Amino acid sequence: MAILTPLSQQFTTGFVPLYPAASFTDSRARMEYHHTSEMNGVVADYHSMCNEPERNGLCREEKHSEDAADSNNLCHIEKAYSTILSELGEDVDREGLLRTPLRAAKAMQFLTKGYKETTQDILNDAIFDENHEEMVIVKDIDLFSLCEHHLVPFYGKAHIAYLPNKKVVGLSKLARIVEIYSRRLQVQERLTKQIASAISEALEPAGVAVVIEAAHMCMVMRGVQKMNASTVTSVMLGRFHDDPEVRKEFLALTMKK
Amino acid sequence: MEHSKQTQYSSNEKKDTGDGGSVLNGHFDGMVKRPAGGTARAAAAPQAPGAESGSHRAATSVMESWKEERTRSVEDNEMSLPSLAAAYTTILRGLGEDPQRQGLLKTPWRAATAMQFFTKGYQEKIIDVLNDAIFDEDHDEMVIVKDIDMFSMCEHHLVPIFGRVHIGYLPNKRVLGLSKLARIVEIYSRRLQVQERLTKQIAVAITEALQPTGVGVVIEATHMCMVMRGVQKMNSKTVTSTMLGVFREDPKTRDEFLTLIRS
Repeated sequence: MAILTPLSQQFTTGFVPLYPAASFTDSRARMEYHHTSEMNGVVADYHSMCNEPERNGLCREEKHSEDAADSNNLCHIEKAYSTILSELGEDVDREGLLRTPLRAAKAMQFLTKGYKETTQDILNDAIFDENHEEMVIVKDIDLFSLCEHHLVPFYGKAHIAYLPNKKVVGLSKLARIVEIYSRRLQVQERLTKQIASAISEALEPAGVAVVIEAAHMCMVMRGVQKMNASTVTSVMLGRFHDDPEVRKEFLALTMKK
Repeated sequence: MEHSKQTQYSSNEKKDTGDGGSVLNGHFDGMVKRPAGGTARAAAAPQAPGAESGSHRAATSVMESWKEERTRSVEDNEMSLPSLAAAYTTILRGLGEDPQRQGLLKTPWRAATAMQFFTKGYQEKIIDVLNDAIFDEDHDEMVIVKDIDMFSMCEHHLVPIFGRVHIGYLPNKRVLGLSKLARIVEIYSRRLQVQERLTKQIAVAITEALQPTGVGVVIEATHMCMVMRGVQKMNSKTVTSTMLGVFREDPKTRDEFLTLIRS
């Protein structure tokens, strides 16, 4: 199990090695990149436990209790939203707000559904052997996430590229990986790194690059209130990190307006 | 009769239920709180275009929105912060997160303060914002302020709505400080809103303050509740408009306004 490094150090581009050796001998660690998954998503560990074959017999029971736990949670979140509405000075009994706590609770659960998903689930059957070693780019993937500091959305686009090493992945799976990690309470830096790590773990390519540009509503709607500011983060692994020409090619192909 | 109606209104301020006025998110605009009695209530209740009634009751109702009470004060904000923060902590737990991890430690407080900021329109009154910025000016051509960035919260899902507001009015001897139009937008948008109601509230507030010959308000906005969840249509925009007075009656004026905001 790799050692957790302080948060500040984790987000320098290229600091993360492509194949952090120690953590990949453990099969459970293959399902989630543990450094970063410990940063958000306690639920993710619970679900990855369910995937291990020797525990299959227990899985169905766990699923029932999981559904019950879900509706229990929904109830708690709903009550919390009712409290919030009344504390904000609104009239909770007016027509427009009658079912708002329930709707808001469900919306919030949808916006954080990434906690319940793992890359294992979605990638398992869409990796193909293909003798292709040139860059594959999927760009302009719309992304919506929630700022973990203010619980306010941030949204933007993700551009992903990888250099296959005999294995290519179904293109929509790249977008699905973005979905899994973005539908959580996130920090943009961590999100970028989690996406890059998930792809490098799953495919073991020669290089992965992820760039995210997003507008943070916590900065636009409140606080400093700068309408047009956008935040760009990137993670370059493998040859994208080592070879400036490769990086330049990627940036030229994705960042032109 | 009138007196009892007045007291009924003031005691029911916060718990306004069921009648036409309550549709207007907990606040009395000039439309409901009217001493003119029965007929006025009947006119407001079936959701008659508050439009027309706004412009002809101008004289009496000018004072009404200025007397509008706030449902919240700065002290209320401080007092409700702990229970808001506790509610947010419950939400974090309910979502499966660990409220004790470093990134989330102060999130309940930050989220609570953020939410109070997003609903700060409840703390403000039109009278505070407009009181001294109405000027007598012999101008009767259209005045337009367009592309006013607007941020609101959907009252159904508590998720942001953002877009632009375009306002035009035909002064009738009185003009308003231009930034005050943007401030009116702020007061009404920083609440739990429905876009249709927001558009109307802005138009009515300007009508009441200035008694202009006509007012037009157009809002085009993106609703995150439709973009981030549900039907998930990224590029959809919702456009609503309210035209009062000559903007409603005269198609040429309306056309001029719509052309100018598009250019």
